[in-house]
Amino acid sequence: MMRKAMSDYGMVFVLLGLCLVFSLLTIKEQVPGNDTAVSELMTRIRSDFKQDDVILVVGAARKDSEQFAGKMGEELKRQGFKNTRVVVGIPSDLRAALDEIKGAGAKPAALIAGPDVMKWRVIDHIQANYPEFSGCRILTPKTWLWPDFLKASNLLAIVDRIVVIAVIAIGMTMVIIAGGIDLSVGSLIALSAVIGTLVMKKLGGLDAPAWVVPIGFMAGIAACGIVGGLGGWIVARFNVAPFITTLAIMMVGRGLAFMITGGFSIYQVPKALPWLGQGRSLEAPNTVILVLVLYAIAHVFMSHTRMGRYIYAVGGNKEAARLSGVPVFFVTVFVYIVSSLAAGLGGCIQASQINTGTPNMGMMYELYVIAAVVVGGTSLSGGSGKMLGTLIGAFIISVIQNGMNLVGIESYTQQVVLGAVILGAVLLDKARNSGGISALLWRKR
Amino acid sequence: MKKALIIACCVGIVLLAFSPGCSRKTNYKGKIGVTCMDLTNPFFKLIANVMQAEAAKYGYEVVALSAELDPAKQNNQMSDFVAQGYDAIFLNPVDSKSAGEGVKKAYQAGVPVFTYDVDVSDEGAKNLVVSHIGSDNYQGGELAGESMMKVTGDRGNIAIIGYPEATSAILRVQGFKDYLKKHNSNLKIVTELSGKGNRDDGYAVATDILQAHPEIVGIFAINDPSGLGTYSALVKADKTRQITIIAFDASPAGKQAVFEKKLYDSPQQYPRKMAVGTVEAFIKYLEGEKIPKVIYILCTHYYLDDAAKDPSRVAEQW
Repeated sequence: MMRKAMSDYGMVFVLLGLCLVFSLLTIKEQVPGNDTAVSELMTRIRSDFKQDDVILVVGAARKDSEQFAGKMGEELKRQGFKNTRVVVGIPSDLRAALDEIKGAGAKPAALIAGPDVMKWRVIDHIQANYPEFSGCRILTPKTWLWPDFLKASNLLAIVDRIVVIAVIAIGMTMVIIAGGIDLSVGSLIALSAVIGTLVMKKLGGLDAPAWVVPIGFMAGIAACGIVGGLGGWIVARFNVAPFITTLAIMMVGRGLAFMITGGFSIYQVPKALPWLGQGRSLEAPNTVILVLVLYAIAHVFMSHTRMGRYIYAVGGNKEAARLSGVPVFFVTVFVYIVSSLAAGLGGCIQASQINTGTPNMGMMYELYVIAAVVVGGTSLSGGSGKMLGTLIGAFIISVIQNGMNLVGIESYTQQVVLGAVILGAVLLDKARNSGGISALLWRKR
Repeated sequence: MKKALIIACCVGIVLLAFSPGCSRKTNYKGKIGVTCMDLTNPFFKLIANVMQAEAAKYGYEVVALSAELDPAKQNNQMSDFVAQGYDAIFLNPVDSKSAGEGVKKAYQAGVPVFTYDVDVSDEGAKNLVVSHIGSDNYQGGELAGESMMKVTGDRGNIAIIGYPEATSAILRVQGFKDYLKKHNSNLKIVTELSGKGNRDDGYAVATDILQAHPEIVGIFAINDPSGLGTYSALVKADKTRQITIIAFDASPAGKQAVFEKKLYDSPQQYPRKMAVGTVEAFIKYLEGEKIPKVIYILCTHYYLDDAAKDPSRVAEQW
């Protein structure tokens, strides 16, 4: 049982390994927002300073830093340091505060700030610019180490970038399991996004009410369904290779997106548009909920319904499937329609994330999606694969992209690394299926 | 499972080898994220390199990413910069309108954003950008107008090959026209068509213009590629003596073309100054100084004399 789970979802370990690596690589000093840092500083201040000393607490205009400065200021005032002053903002705000103190003829005895504020050059040059403040001591709280990769805001950023690829990968998994391939999804993203935003623009633009948004989305998704369904029909009816059919659909879709917009982006959209891609409901981001729900449905569909089993049958052996009464034609058209609808939904999500419809969205996305599906363990020759494996595959791609940006690897190198990791992952998968790395290497040809 | 771990470790080692963190110096201050339209374009690659060198003087490491002309990709890169808590973001928007979401995100997280070359035009995000550093395209257009009046003796019909999809090109044409109007020029603009900023379309549209208006004496093309496309059309129609071309940018190819007298003038942009100016704006921000919302880098004429003594022309550089 355990062994089977391991071979089905071995990629989970690759994903965990990657997370571990990126966590180690992005460990950094973090500004403490907690009370221990404040109380630790308080003991130092109580012993070194008098109650009427001027104490300046500085925080940068970012949440953690602001929180720390706020708590510190409150605590100081509570303990009787009545000349405490809290400055939260950007370097010029600190400079203004220093000028004001200087103007009042006062002199700060201490300046308290986190390591992020310490990088401001105002602080480096305080001696040079304000010679009268010579006795001022600069205090920083003890920082703690924590990987940037594992910060909540970053984990959300990973899900944000994965959502489009993950949603489209649902349809792509079905297509690939059924023995096909769909190269058109990238340009369908653009088609759906521009049609959706164009409908919203026509129905009122910036001042349109919220109900315009779902109508736009439906128009975009429906258009993709029609264009993609046409491709599926050609593949099924005339038995044309799906590679070349969907390649043609890809060009048609991209061209239509440019034709419709004339090359411009559409930004006159209702205020409700960002809700899907950026909003929250029930304390969780909508994108996370959407991905979880869609994958749950897709998993049940593929493993517990007759249609799901038909898809596996068509991909495994089309002729055998036909002879055993599987409606091959219907199944083939169906998977391509699902794939294009998923791409349409992906386009809506992306339009919502960047609050615009642009005809050059989704370039190369078909390749990322196919990579996610294959890394997730679905065989390109059809007939086998798992929906949840695809989700893991999508996470792997997204974690690599995000992690490389965090570590600060340049764009050129990123492509090499991403390509190498995809190769490594599929080779690993191959090795697992043919009984170990040595078996793969020494197999007779 | 063992194998999976081995692979993960290998990936880790590869990443470590590439990661710039290993070579950190003692004066290391932090990181600046740069995301630009397209790093395969030498103009942006040069800017990124100069930023890197300039920021290193102050202890900052620049991570330059290419958005590959995809606004959604750029948005993701901005999110990553924000998540990592970078000290600043230098943004060259792929799309002036859709870059707004990333700018808002950075602003909320307290990461200062500076735009360069192209600015952000989203109404809600425009004011959140600390400063924009870019060429003064309008003033560059005026220079082109000045050259056009000079070379034609302020007489005859002229044509403009524009690119109305790009704000920078619109400003250039606007500056050009305003200069002519301000100086009561006798030049008459007979047509204004789009050359889409590239050589092929510049060639095609110039060919059409020569059919419709064979009498023109000058053409203003809004950048070097469309100017050089226009030149090919003139050669084909054997009109290089009759018609003077004024282009824009003084790109490596444009500099050489000015030197070979294919172009009369190509008002020069200064990507180096733009890069240095952006880094300086950030440093001033850290000093707590007030920074203007827009910092313009003036363009200058680029004539044959300039080309003859310009070492960067020989080195094929901006």
